[in-house]
Amino acid sequence: MPASTQWTANRVLLLIGRLCLAIVFLAAAYGKLRPLNATPWTLHSLEVTPSSLNLSMTFFAMQLDSYRMLPAWAVSPFAHTLPWVELAVGLLLLFGFALRYVCIAATLLLTIFYGAVIHSYAMHLAINCGCFGPNEKLDAWTLVRDGLFFALGIAVTIGAFLMHKRNRAAVSSSPRAELSAR
Amino acid sequence: MTSHIHLAINKANRRPIRTLGVIFVAAFLCVLPALLARPASSQTPAEWDRFTTQKSLGDPNAPIKMEVFDDYECPACDQFYENTLKLMIDSYVAEGKVYLIHRDFPLPIHLYSRRAARWVNAAARIGKFEAVERALFDNQMAWSEYGTENPKGIMEPFVKGALTPAEFERVQRLMKGCEVNTQQEIKGCALDGDIQHDMALGQLIPVNETPTSIVTYRGVRYPPIVGAMSWPLLREFFDQLMSQR
Repeated sequence: MPASTQWTANRVLLLIGRLCLAIVFLAAAYGKLRPLNATPWTLHSLEVTPSSLNLSMTFFAMQLDSYRMLPAWAVSPFAHTLPWVELAVGLLLLFGFALRYVCIAATLLLTIFYGAVIHSYAMHLAINCGCFGPNEKLDAWTLVRDGLFFALGIAVTIGAFLMHKRNRAAVSSSPRAELSAR
Repeated sequence: MTSHIHLAINKANRRPIRTLGVIFVAAFLCVLPALLARPASSQTPAEWDRFTTQKSLGDPNAPIKMEVFDDYECPACDQFYENTLKLMIDSYVAEGKVYLIHRDFPLPIHLYSRRAARWVNAAARIGKFEAVERALFDNQMAWSEYGTENPKGIMEPFVKGALTPAEFERVQRLMKGCEVNTQQEIKGCALDGDIQHDMALGQLIPVNETPTSIVTYRGVRYPPIVGAMSWPLLREFFDQLMSQR
């Protein structure tokens, strides 16, 4: 395969991976922020009000509390912050802004989530995951799914760094760059 | 001639599809009664309402209704009762903000959970649900299979301690035919009917783990909350519910 074709293929792969990761984060934020009593993925579920937001995040805080990993004082602030962080990371991934740094942040978050899921599964905690909204049981499938997300996060981060390095090398070896160097 | 051959081939090709179709419809018809079946119960709705009331705390007209599917031997249920429900009973239930309904959901993995549920249901029938529930949860480590006491599964002393001698005698009478320690439904044990009814309700939700709490506010049922959550968080949730317009 010619080098240029390989490069294009890698760029497409990175784009697909980045978009997949963005969807994961946006879906996770939506699941936590949408009104609790609305049917998911309907227009009604987008009718968000300050009180419905508060209620959804407090509900998420209760799910978070059942993991028994955070001190009592930290549960509510963490639960009220995380969905917004997920939304921001999702949007930044979608638009490809500051990709390398956002990818690092996304992978860090996925590492924390995966660690929490593994810990709860190992402790035989019969709880809901709370990952993509209420009513989602934490089971072996959650472990596999979060493992795949974690692997995707690492792959996209590595890809983003390699692509950046490649771009820099391409720019520095271009005739204009050579001229300016002289 | 060729058209005849084509027809024959077409017929032969359709046969497996038809057979599969017939099998599918037959299977669906077999499953249909099970899908349409309601939870089996020997009780009338009025009787059922009475049993629900007996295992409930607070004002039935309270704005928030909370149903808790519990297993008396599950450690998380004990933790939830001791750290959250007790505080809630003493405050929001007592103040008429929350109507707390207990639902039995003894998990088959626990050796003595159904037996404990039978004792509590017997006590509920004489209006002593709260006292016996509290006694069993307070002493879970003494009678459950996870406890340090031996022999395990002996819960009568704790039930006795929560009741007067006359009340205990009545409860013992109700327990007649229900003494065998089995997770299966005992025929002739009237108390198992109450437990089965609660379990059938749980399976409709569906409840897979305990404790599972269902909160209803102004007729709107919120998603099940699985696991034990702290009282400050639950109180925050209730306050936000009640502040909604």
